[in-house]
Parts: sequence; C-alpha cells; structure tokens
Amino acid sequence: MATTQLTSISDHNFEQCLKCSICTVYCPVAAVNPAYPGPKQAGPDGERYRLKDPKFFDEALKLCLNCKRCEVACPSDVRIGDLIQQARMKHKSYRPKMRDMMLASTDLVGTMATMVAPITNFTLGLKPVKAVMHGVMAIDKHRTFPAYSQQKFEAWFNKNARDYQNTFAKHVSYFHGCYVNYNFPQLGKDFVTVMNAVGYGVHLLEKEKCCGVAMIANGMYNQARKQGEVNMASMRKSIDQQRPVLTTSSTCTFTMRDEYPELLGINNDGVRDNLSLATRFLFQLVDEGKIKLAFRPEFKMRIAYHTACHMQRMGWAIYSTELLRMIPGLELIELDQNCCGISGTYGFKKENYETSQAIGETLFADIEAAKPDYVSTDCETCKWQIEMSTSVKVLNPISILAQALDIDATRRLNSSEWHRMDA
Amino acid sequence: MKFDTLIVGGGLSGLTCGIALAKRGKRVAIVAGGQNTLHFYGGSMELLGNVNGKDVDNPIEAIAQLNENHPYSKIGADSVAELAKKAKALLADVGIQTIGDATHNHYRITPMGTTKPAWLTIDGMATSDKADQLPWNKVSLVYLEGFIDYPIDFAANGIRQMGVQVETPTISLDCLKRARRSATEMRPTNLAKIFASTSAVAQLAQAINNSCGDADAVLIPAVLGIDNDDVCNMLKAQVNKPLFFLATLPPAVTGVRINAALRHYFQMLGGRYILGDTACKVVTNGDTVTEIRTTKLLDMPLQADNYVIATGSFMSRGLVADFEHVYEPLIGLDTNAPDDHEKWSQYGMMGDQPYMSYGVMTDGNFHPLKDGKTLTNAFAIGQILGGHNPVVMGDGTGVSMITALAVANQIK
Repeated sequence: MATTQLTSISDHNFEQCLKCSICTVYCPVAAVNPAYPGPKQAGPDGERYRLKDPKFFDEALKLCLNCKRCEVACPSDVRIGDLIQQARMKHKSYRPKMRDMMLASTDLVGTMATMVAPITNFTLGLKPVKAVMHGVMAIDKHRTFPAYSQQKFEAWFNKNARDYQNTFAKHVSYFHGCYVNYNFPQLGKDFVTVMNAVGYGVHLLEKEKCCGVAMIANGMYNQARKQGEVNMASMRKSIDQQRPVLTTSSTCTFTMRDEYPELLGINNDGVRDNLSLATRFLFQLVDEGKIKLAFRPEFKMRIAYHTACHMQRMGWAIYSTELLRMIPGLELIELDQNCCGISGTYGFKKENYETSQAIGETLFADIEAAKPDYVSTDCETCKWQIEMSTSVKVLNPISILAQALDIDATRRLNSSEWHRMDA
Repeated sequence: MKFDTLIVGGGLSGLTCGIALAKRGKRVAIVAGGQNTLHFYGGSMELLGNVNGKDVDNPIEAIAQLNENHPYSKIGADSVAELAKKAKALLADVGIQTIGDATHNHYRITPMGTTKPAWLTIDGMATSDKADQLPWNKVSLVYLEGFIDYPIDFAANGIRQMGVQVETPTISLDCLKRARRSATEMRPTNLAKIFASTSAVAQLAQAINNSCGDADAVLIPAVLGIDNDDVCNMLKAQVNKPLFFLATLPPAVTGVRINAALRHYFQMLGGRYILGDTACKVVTNGDTVTEIRTTKLLDMPLQADNYVIATGSFMSRGLVADFEHVYEPLIGLDTNAPDDHEKWSQYGMMGDQPYMSYGVMTDGNFHPLKDGKTLTNAFAIGQILGGHNPVVMGDGTGVSMITALAVANQIK
C-alpha cells in the first residue's frame, strides 16, 4: 500500500489536484468568455468524468488558448493545460476547416507568399480582400496580417552570411522559425550579428520545418508529428557536430522541448538539453565569464518587457530580462503577467476576435501607461498583437542587444579564440 | 545567477521578507513554485486569536502564555509588538489599508456568519468589536444571483443569532446573467473581473438601492476590487446606506489583491519574482547553503549570501507526509513530527489536530536545523515553522509576517 502512494503518478499529475481553484483566477479566457468553462472544470474536474465516459467531453474546450497560465499558477504542479489539450486530441469531433489548415500551414503559405510578397502584402491589406477573408474564410477583418518579406531569411543567409561562419572557433545552429524566415528576417540577421560578435559561427539546420505549434492548435496532430520528427533528426545531427541549437522564439522552443514529448509523443531525448533560447545561452555564457559584452555608451532605451505565456511556462523570462538589464543605457519595466490574447492563430479567427482583444485589454492599457520606447518580448505572435493593438513597436531582446552592442569592441573582447581559429 | 538573498516561496512570508530586504537596497530573488495560500485570505490577518481555548483580547500580552517553541516566544513580546506595527505599515505601503492593531483584537465575520478574533482587516470589510454582537439592528445581506460557494443561509442564520434582523435580497443583473452561461465559474474572483467595469458597478449600486428597504447597513460578499479598492469605494459612494464587504470562500478577491499588491511592490523595488519554477535541490557545504537549483533554470545555479526558506506547510508542499514520515522535502530539515503516524491526527477533523503544529525546527534566530546542526546562512519563516497552530490558535498570518520581518532584520 505504501508503494502505491509513493509511486503512483497519473497522466499530467492529474491526481494531485486539491480543488483549490487558484487556476481559475488566472485563466484569461474564462474571464472574458462565459462560453468557456475555465481550467478547473475543463481540466481535472472534467477529466474525472471523461475517464468514466467520453461523452462528457465538452466541445467548448476548443476555446482554451493553451497559454498554460493555469499550470504556472497551480500550487500542486497539475499540468492542467496538457490535460485539456490531451482531451481535445482524444475526443474532439470537429475537423480542421480549410481556414484552419491555411493558418496552420505556415511553411506552405509562407513559401507561396514570400514569392510574391509585395502583391501578397498589398492584397492582404485591401478592404475588399479583408471582407472576403472575413466572410468566406472566417479570418477576422480587423486583423493586420504580418507582412511577408521579399527575401526569405534562409536566402539572405546563404547569400550573405554562410561563407564566413566557418571562420569562428565555436558554432551553433539556428532554428529560425517561420516568422524569421517569411516575415521578419531582420531578427535572424540580428541574431547572426550578435552570435558572430561573441565568437560563435551560425549555421542553419540541414532541414527545418515549422515547429508545429499552429498545427497542434488546429487539430492537425499527424502533420505536426511528422514535422517534429524532421526537426529532431536535423537537430540530432547538429548536436552530434557539437553545435547546440538556438532559437529566437519562445513558442517554438517550448513546443519542441515540452509539447513534443508531452502531447505528440515525439522522443526529444538528447535534443531537449541542447535546444535553447538565444537569450538563455548568451546570459549563461556571460554569467560564467566565457564571453564579454561591450555596449555603445550613447545607447538609451526605455523597455517594457512582456512575458509571453509560453516563456512564462518555460520559466526562462529571467534569462531575457537579466540579459537586457546588463545594458547600461536600458531602463526595464516588467509588465504584469497578462496574456496578450492572440495565441498564435486563435486571434485570427473571426469567432475569437472579440475574446482575443478583450483578453489583451489589460496588457494594452499597461503598455500605454508605461510609455516605453519599445515593448520587448520573446514571442512573435505577441508582437503582432501588441503592434496592432497599441501605439508601441515590439522588439525581440536579441534585436535590442544587436542595437545596444558595440559590435567591434565586443568582437575584440571575444577575439582570442577567434584569432586562434584564423591562424 | 547571484543575489544577496534568495527566498524560496512566494507567499505572504516570502514576499514580506523580500520587500523588507529590497527596501534596504538588497538584491533579492524569490522563487515561487506556483501561486500561494494568500488566495484563500478573506480580508483579515490574525496575530494570535486563541490561547488555551479562550479568545485573546491583547495578542501581545498573550504571548507570555505561549510555550518556548512558538515562533513569537523566540522573538519576544516587545519585538513582536514592534514588528506588528511594521507589518501594518508595510501593507499600507503596498496599498492595502487596514484597521486594527496588535494590542487589541477585533472580530472578523466569517462566510458562515460566525465571528473570529482578528488583528488587521482590510478597510471596508464588515467587522465587530465584540464576539457575539454586531454593530447593526437590521442588515440587508445581498445575494448575487448564481454566485457559487456562498452559504447565504448559514451566514444569515449566524448573523440573526447575534440579534440582528437580516433580509436577503437577491440581485440579478444582465452582466451576471451573461456570466452564468458558465455556471461553474461564478466564483468571487471571476465576478470581480465583471465588476472591474464602472458601468457594472453602477448597475449593482442601483440594484442594491432598489432592494434594500429599511436596513441600517448593506452587507455584500467581497467580489469587488481584484486590482485595487477603487471600485469598492465607487460602490460605497453610490449606495445610499453604509455598505460593508463580507469575506467569501476561496479563491478570495481580498487575498488575490493582497498578493498582487505585495508582488508589484517587490518588483518595483527591483526584486526578481520567478514564478512557476520550483526549487528542487539545495547544495550545502558543512553548515552553509551554497546554491539552489530549480526545475526550470536547469543548469543555472542560484546563489546568494543568505537563503530564506518560506515554502509553507503541507498545502504548499513545504512539508510532506507519507506513510512513514513527515519531512521537509527540499533540504531534509529536522521537523518536530513524531515518527509514529498514529499520533499525527486525532478524532474530530476541525479540532486541535497535532499535525497542524508540525514544521521545521530552528534555533532562536530561525536558522533551521539539519541533523541537529544549524544552517548558518539559512533561515526558515512562515508556515513551514513548527510550534504554532493557525487553525486553533489563529496565528497563521501573524507568524508569516512577523517571522519574515524578524529574519529580514537579522540579515545584514
């Protein structure tokens, strides 16, 4: 009997729920949308019934954002969000619509869109097109689509940066993600600048697929799993070459480190410990005295840092904020822990638009009140939402670092090994 | 990552200690493995409510009757009196105005309509100066349609037994009807999010004015003011009778507000609050702690000159009981629990349960003991401490705040 109590561990720590209800205080959806039953009811309470009979599955669970703020709040470490996601995977009857598949297929749509980027951007901004998307596709007309870049990051990298990466002594691989590749190559360029400055060569993975977070959210589990396997295989090769894999997106990182094994059943052993966010990697190197940073003396910036939901769940916000705090001319305000409401593709859907904006209201008001020069966050979809809903522009911490660093001085500070490599 | 002081546990004691240190310019980090039991606080703090089965009037005087292992005995009555003033001032600094002081208990009114001795109560909550009397002849005890976990009949009966006439009008508003589409979510904190809007407050005030005939006062469950007390004051100004808030069952709006206010203040002072991460390993070298590891920061050790263990009691996993032992899971600190588990509990769930006073053992300065020896750069504060009993003695919040401030004073 003693052994039973000591070793019995339920899926997602389900049995540890004490019914304290603290999770319900922090659910951004239940606070604004009464159609959603909230994390306690949708998670552990509902799970008791679903285990008895699947007919107790409630389709309203699809309203969950998967932000995991319930899990962060839980004093008993119950993985409430995972319980809800798993129930959706197991029981849901709705099929992804054409619209959902388009929103989730970031690689396919991104490749097509970047080929004709000026046309895409122009067209997506037209009122009649927005009206058609709203009416036919159920993509909300208020949304501004992130602009597509004319040149993919990969193309830029191969043309402008790839050749000199082998001149460095140390190396990392970069999982750039869909956003950097199709929409915002500048972040990738900033990443290369910063890593090169501290003495690291940057390489692309042999094959990179979308991490699959949007596919998971839209019920396309098999496709997500296939893409995940491709990513894991490429990352294993990189790690075998002593090249840890870095990202600049908290959501991609969280998906591949935690959602792959927990939800998709993908084995990421050997990869998980070598897959990190760039800010964490850099902070650790500075903390251990392995690299040094030199900053431009004239750099001044007032930043409001927003902890993205998946960043919060990973528990890594402190790496980004401590790294930013190293910049002498930077004034950092930590915003309250609130969801911005976009949650990837969720907020793009017509039926979710109002909920999405209502969730973000508190954060938007906090941002306007803080009057920062920029908001900083590690998540690209938070960036779209905040830029659409406030008057403030958003920068990834890596881009801020690229602006604040005295690149030449930093190169010199970290050049002993660099020169050794040169020689 | 290096700090002056590292606090494990982000509840009332951890935050209180963190604020006191950060105010002195110390670099402080708090690691909080999830949210805390402040979420259960119905708006009152207790210093010492009951000793030897009798209600306490003056907690400071009553400290003399406590045994030597009680945390207050280690601090001494005079120092407790000083620290109690500081605790009240600290709450005021973070924006929580309270009534009450440490030399004279007042009575709070429970959701069940009974009274309990209290030290500090958030301004605006219903209180009484007597255990068995209330300061009204007739009250209107408002019920909000669909509000769950609110035992209105118990509350009304309890108040009637104190000689007060009670009417219980039910108020129904459009915003509440919309919320009831999710009937399971009609909790205090979710209602407070509805009543964050000034138009909802105005509707509520009008409905109260329409339904509370000749009562001398209106009592309403504390479902307003999750961020601050602005909407509480707005409601009071718009209702044409004196209005007081009654404590609710958890998750309590009052406790959530205190928690957020403390945390904001701590962060404003430059404190680092690491939420949703759990300390999982403490490295010691002889009689000192050298670093702490967490489940999320992985290979990044957290180091400090001083370490404060504020991980709480059984509910917060600061203490764990299995079939064989009561133990402190993080460092393996010594506890005052006997090995014979038959002795841990006794008949009568709400009675004086021995396990409630279990906790870690410390020396007179709250340095915890491990294998009989003190850890010299570590301290234990709050509910993890043995020798007190929050349920029977009504000393929970007091022990959390007073030991936190006593330890902050010791850290140079």
